[in-house]
Formats: sequence, C-alpha cells, structure tokens
Amino acid sequence: MKNLIHILQFEWKLLWRSNMLKLLLVVMLGAGVYGIFFGKFEIEKQNIRIAEVKEYEQGRFDSLLTWANLDTSILANKEKYLKAVSPEGVGWRLHFSHCIVNEASPTAGLCLGQRDLFPTYYRINLTDLARQMNTAELANPMKLLTGNFDLSYVFIFLLPLLIISLFFNLYSDEKEKGTLSLLQAQAISLNTILLDKGFLRLLTVWAISAFLLVLGFLIQGVSIANNADIFFQWLLVIFAYTLLWTLFMAGIVALKKGTAVSAMLGLGVWLITTLIMPALLNLFVSANEPLPNRAEIIHAVRAANNRNWDSPKSFVLEKFYEDNPQYSQEDTTHFYKWYYASFALLDKEANTIRNDFNTQINKRNKLIKKWEWMAPAAMVYEHLSKISKTNRESHLHFMEATHDFHDRLKAIYYSKIFAEEKFNQQDLRVIQAMQRY
Amino acid sequence: MLLLIIKKEILAALRNVRLQIAGIFLIALMLVAVLLGRQGQQLIHKEREKAQSAMYDIWVNQGMKHPHSAAHFGQFAFKPKPVLSFLDVGLDNYTGTSVFLEAHKQNEILFSAAQDSNAMIRFGEMTMALVLQILLPLLIIFLTFNIFSKEREEGTLKLIYAQGLSMRQLFMAKVWATYVMVLAIFIPVICIAYFLLDYQSVSMDPNIGLKFIGLTITYALYFLVFVLLSVLISAFAKKSSISLLSLLGLWIVACIILPKATANLADKAYPTPSQFEFRNTIREKVKNGIDGHNPRDERLNALKQKVLDQYEVSSVEELPVNWSGIAMQAGEEYTDKIYDREFTRVENIFKKQNRLSEWVGFINPYLAIRHLSMAFAGTDFDHHTAFARAAENYRRAFVKKMNKDMELNHTPGIAYGDYNVGKEMWSSIKPFAYQLPDLTSILSKQWRSVAALVTWLLGLFFIASIFSNSISKI
Repeated sequence: MKNLIHILQFEWKLLWRSNMLKLLLVVMLGAGVYGIFFGKFEIEKQNIRIAEVKEYEQGRFDSLLTWANLDTSILANKEKYLKAVSPEGVGWRLHFSHCIVNEASPTAGLCLGQRDLFPTYYRINLTDLARQMNTAELANPMKLLTGNFDLSYVFIFLLPLLIISLFFNLYSDEKEKGTLSLLQAQAISLNTILLDKGFLRLLTVWAISAFLLVLGFLIQGVSIANNADIFFQWLLVIFAYTLLWTLFMAGIVALKKGTAVSAMLGLGVWLITTLIMPALLNLFVSANEPLPNRAEIIHAVRAANNRNWDSPKSFVLEKFYEDNPQYSQEDTTHFYKWYYASFALLDKEANTIRNDFNTQINKRNKLIKKWEWMAPAAMVYEHLSKISKTNRESHLHFMEATHDFHDRLKAIYYSKIFAEEKFNQQDLRVIQAMQRY
Repeated sequence: MLLLIIKKEILAALRNVRLQIAGIFLIALMLVAVLLGRQGQQLIHKEREKAQSAMYDIWVNQGMKHPHSAAHFGQFAFKPKPVLSFLDVGLDNYTGTSVFLEAHKQNEILFSAAQDSNAMIRFGEMTMALVLQILLPLLIIFLTFNIFSKEREEGTLKLIYAQGLSMRQLFMAKVWATYVMVLAIFIPVICIAYFLLDYQSVSMDPNIGLKFIGLTITYALYFLVFVLLSVLISAFAKKSSISLLSLLGLWIVACIILPKATANLADKAYPTPSQFEFRNTIREKVKNGIDGHNPRDERLNALKQKVLDQYEVSSVEELPVNWSGIAMQAGEEYTDKIYDREFTRVENIFKKQNRLSEWVGFINPYLAIRHLSMAFAGTDFDHHTAFARAAENYRRAFVKKMNKDMELNHTPGIAYGDYNVGKEMWSSIKPFAYQLPDLTSILSKQWRSVAALVTWLLGLFFIASIFSNSISKI
C-alpha cells in the first residue's frame, strides 16, 4: 500500500511536469466545454420552438373557450360560438387541431441523440392520423449527417483518444529513455510499477470525465440532486467505457512494442471500434435488409378513402358500428356520422400496415443489436441517448402517446357526434386537459 | 537517380510488414464497401423503381372519376438511387425518399432511412468514400511520418546529399514514391468499381462516365495534397515521434473534429427557421396574399369579374366554361408562388450553411473532397433539391391538366358527381421520370471545392519548392 502511494505520487509528478498531460487536459476540457455549450444552445433552441407552439396553441384554445361562452342572441357571435362547440368542426377549413408535445428530458442537452431527426410536436385533428403525422422539422441534411458536437460525442470519440495518448508509451517510453533497467532493478516488480502507472492514468481519466459531467450538469442548469439517478447512470456508463479502453491499452502495452507501433495499434483499435465496425454494420444491413416503403401507408389511406366515398353511407357506418358498439345506432345516413366514421376506418387500415412496418423495422434493428458488441462506441451512444431519452425508442413512445391522444380525442368527439350533441364548457376543459403541454 | 530513389522508397515500404497489412486491410475494406454498396444500391433502386411503377399503375387504373377528385387522389414520386451512390452514400440516409403529390399542396419529401434506424446509423455507412477520405490519409501518414527522419537518424541523408542530389529533388522523389504507392492501392479498386456500374439505370443519370472520371481525378488530387503535406511535415520535424504525433493530431482535427464544428457553426451563422414558423407563414400568405393586403376572397372576386368580362356575361352560370376549374387553377398558381418563395427561402438558408463549409475547404481539404465526392456521386444537397423541384413540377403539371379539363369539359349545370373521366385521361399523364443534373450543373455549383483543392495543391507545391532545399540533413 505504501509502495502504491509512493509510486502514484512520483508518477503524478512526472506526468504533471511533462507538458504533454497539461496540453491534453486543456484540449479535452476545451472540447468538453464546447460540447456542453453546443448541446445547451441546441436544446434551448428546441425548447424555445416548443414554447412558441405551446403559446400559440394555448391562445387558440383559450379563444375557443371564450367563444363557447358567447351570447348567441347576437348574430355576429353565432359563427364563433358554433366553431367552438360543434364536434363536427363546423366553420373550420380543416377541423380544429390539438397539440401534443414531446418535451426534452433534463439531460437531453448532454446527448442530443436522435431527437434532431424527429418532430418534437404534432398538431392533430379528428381526421385520420397517418397523414397528419407525416411531418418533419426543417433540418439541413448536411448537419444531420455530420452530427452534433455534444458532450456525449466528446466522451465517446475524444476520451478514448486521451486514453490512447496517456497509455501508448507507458512501457516504451521507459525503454527508449533508458530508465527501464533502473525500474527492473527495484525491489518491486516491473509489472506492479506498470500497473500502478496505468492505475494513475485511469484515475486521471475518471477524474476529468467526472469533472466534465458535473460541469455539463452545472452549465446546462440541470440539478444533480434532483437527477441523481441520471447522473450516476451517465457516470457508470462512462466509467465502464473508459475502463474498457484502459483494458484495450493494457493489452497493447503488454505486447511491449515500441512507441510508434503502440500508438498505431491504439489508433487502429480506435478506428475499428468507433469508425469501421459501425460503418460496416450499417452497410451490411442496408445492403441486405430493405426499409419498408412508407408511402404505402399514405396510399392505403387514400385508397380506403376512395372506397368510402364511392360506397353508400351504410357501408362505412355498418363497419364502424361493428368495431365501436358503444355508438351503435340505426342511423346510416347522417352525413357527419358517416364523415367521421370513415376516418376511423382509415385509421384502422393505416394501423395494420404500420404494425407490419414496425415488425419489419424491428427485425432490421435487431440484426444491428445482435452485432452491436463489436462497436462499443455505438453501444455507449445508444445507452447515453436512452438515459437522456433522446433515442429513437423515446420518439416511438411519443408516437404511441400521440396515437393514444388521438384515440381519446376521437372518443370524446364521437360520443358527441353520435349523440348529436354540442360541446359544453366542461367538455372543452376536458379536451384542454388532455393536450400534453 | 530520381527513379532509383523512388524505387528504393517503394521497395522499403513493400518490405514493411505493417504497411503490407495496412495496405491489404484498406484494399479489402474498399472491396467489401464497393461490392456490398453496389448490392445495396441495386436493392434500393429496384425497390423504388417497383414502387414508382406500381403507384403509376394505380393512378392509371383508378377508374372513372372527376378530374379534380383524381388530383386529390394524387400520385407519388420516389427518389431514384443514383448510380454512383454506392461509392459515396452522402446525404442519402438523411434525406426523404418519397413525396405524395396532390392538389393544392406541396408536401415535404419524407421518410429518411435514419428515422427508421437506431443510433448506429449516426456512425456513418461504410463506403469507398469513407475509406478514401478518412482512412487512406492515415496510411499516407504511416508511409511518410519517418520518411526523412529515419534517414536522418540512420545518417543516410548525408550520404544521398553527397551523391549530388539536391534536397528539393530528394523531396520530390519521396513525394512521388509515396504517391505511386497510394495510386497503386486506389486505381485497381476504382477500376473494379467502374466495371460494376449499373448501366441499366444510366438513362436517369446523364454523363455518368464523366462524373466517374471527375470523381476519380478529385480523389487523386486529394491524395496528392495529403502526400505533399505529410512529407513536408515529416521533412521539417526533428524526430519521427514528433512528426507522427503532429500528423495524427492534424488528421484528427481535419477529419474528425473540424467537420462537426463547421456544420454546427454554419447552423449558428445562418439559423434554420422552424417548421412551425414556416407553415404559419405559408398559411398566412395563402389567406391574406403574398403582400398581406390581398385576401383570398378579393383575389377570387377580381378573377371572377375578369372572366365574366372576357366572356361578356353577367353570372357564372352563363359561362360556357367551368368557373370552378378556372378558380382552382388560379388558386393553385397563387399558392405555387407562395410555396416557391418559402421553400426557396429555406433552401437558400441550407445552401448558405453548406457554402460556409465549402469555403472552409480552403482551410481543411477534407471538407473540399467531401462536398465534391457527394456531388459527383449524386448524393449532395443540390441533388436533393433538384429531385424536389422535378417532383413539384410534375405535380403542378398534372394538377393543371386536371383543372384545365374541368374548366373546358365539365359544362356548367352538370353536378360534380356526374362528370367523370377515365383511363384515357389518366394515361395521358406520363409517368414521373427524373433525370439527375448533368456534369456542368454539378461543376458550376461546386467550383468552391474545386478551387479549394487546386489552391491547396498549388500552395503546397509552391511551399515545397521554396523550402525543400533548406531541409536539414542531420
């Protein structure tokens, strides 16, 4: 134990006094702080946009509530009143749309993940959902391709480079400087000394990554106390990843090769695990597993729509009553009942195809998952974005929530349409409470 | 003497086991990338072609309908997979793949591959371009980092100098020797790629041969830039380790860090508007006119008066043509103007962002080759907008035809449901056929990157010719 502390002390002095470490730390810190601020700006931009949408939607809904209270004995108020209380959407060009928002999680700014590929909100109305969800946030594909310089990027790509540069000459430096024989002459075995040297470096790496993580939470204004679980999950993933890299480097040092060869080997491992393997996996999957043609959903919906319009009203309504016995009525000619029931049929059609597509995509992604261990960098990225709720799955959850929201909206609207009733204040409040913002 | 030196350098490298392994590894990687890449390109191309013709069949066989109902029924445009995209996949995983074309509305091109993939996709797809742009420069670094320092350490530099060879000649000999080795790796694989070109789909891709040659030449230039740069640094570095570290540092900054930082900076410099703002602007302008003082009702009334005057009648019912058809087409043309304005505005912002990174090509040659390579392969942003434009023009043409038919043949007094046309009408709309931009259009857009590469090359030759004689011999 005494020896260990002794070696650590002196090794630290050596490390610190060689300007190499200082330079590397400065570069690492610089990149880290840049990444933290970049993530902060990026997520703030998203949040501002979400706030804009929310404010707009709030305003629209508030006016709906006022209109529902208008005195209809005044002719001028009649139109607005009807717009507010008609479940059939009287007076609107394309019905009244409701909004559902996917708020960023507190640490989304540390790992922006896949969030930039997807819309952060949907505005939907009573009509069929499939066509309304076909929106995308405006984004320069060049930026999407290049990706984000956030803290997770610094940890995943740059931290291993720090580890490589700290470890590659662990043995060869002593040899090339001629100090190796001095070490070999010590009472402590060379292996112990090398292990201690490696241990010190690992501690240094852990210290700087923990420091950057704390800095990230502080700069982005995320309370560590309130998000302790997220903080420790991040810490755990990064410590494990750096440990893995330390082991890679330990293996390379154990080969006892010269400085240049060790550096090249380290870089080679870095290239293979962070660049080549993920890229090869992507190539393999895209060459063998085609993606579903999503235009099929739009086509199925328009074809079903065509069929609905070409058939007598009873065709749609009978099918609808079969699926939704709670509305069961004899009425098979009412225009609005027919009109909205036909959208429910479109939703049903679209959902079948959507489920097929999801199965196909899951199969494809499972194939990647199966080989993910070959690319630890991608694994870590997947984990961090999962912790920060910025991965694709989080968006799929949001899409499910949107489907659910649409179903609940339909339930309220349909119960009124089929009872041939209008909304009252209470109904509107219920709907307002359902919107997630 | 020069040839002798070149021969010596090549022999020395060929006998180096590590370089052998690295070279073979790169060649194998490129072969896998080319073969699998082509397989994937074919797969996607066939799928999209199939989807496109299936959707056209549905359009033709949609049965008897009112032309305006048919315009609402709509068509699809699928983005063809460019022939050369197997060499550089570019933006293809991040741009949409198909667009629904319907009356009244310009839809976005949707469904990118990235949206359907998990996080792995963000690590890029292996293509020949990735190997050539990022990995081959590393091989160049390993070939050259000790090309001078080793001789200096072994004392052979002095001996060569004593043979009467100037340092400038020696420098150039080492440059050409390295370059020959790089080309020896590059050329066989690019030749194989050439024989794998899909000649069946060449009809959609004009000048494919020239584009291929352009791609090859640009890469050859890029390698020369990198060879010159690394031999130069190696010549002036005091020790092998210093030259290796500085070269690797440069590589990491140029190929890994700077591209990301540049793209992020471009987004800061020219902020992308939000979808919300974009859609609201369009809605607002459709409603109140482009200038905000020309609401829809007034536009319609003015048009109605004009048409009534033209036919010298006093009401819509007396018109010999269908008023709704005229009104709808006028509405289309008005919204088209708004769509053009707004879509172009966003496009221009993206173009400015990309242009910034093209200019940075003068600082970082990696960015120059990246843009050029994507452009030749048909997978850059300009190709995406070209497709979007073609699809939109197709939409406008067929919607216009539907409106025109309604105007002329749907005589007033006949109910909407009673005027129907059929297959003859639908098949008079030709299937959507998109041709990629030709070589001149690519070069006219990519001149910055070309200029950046040429500047790098000339600059490095200039620096080498001035300073190479002062390379230290000991």
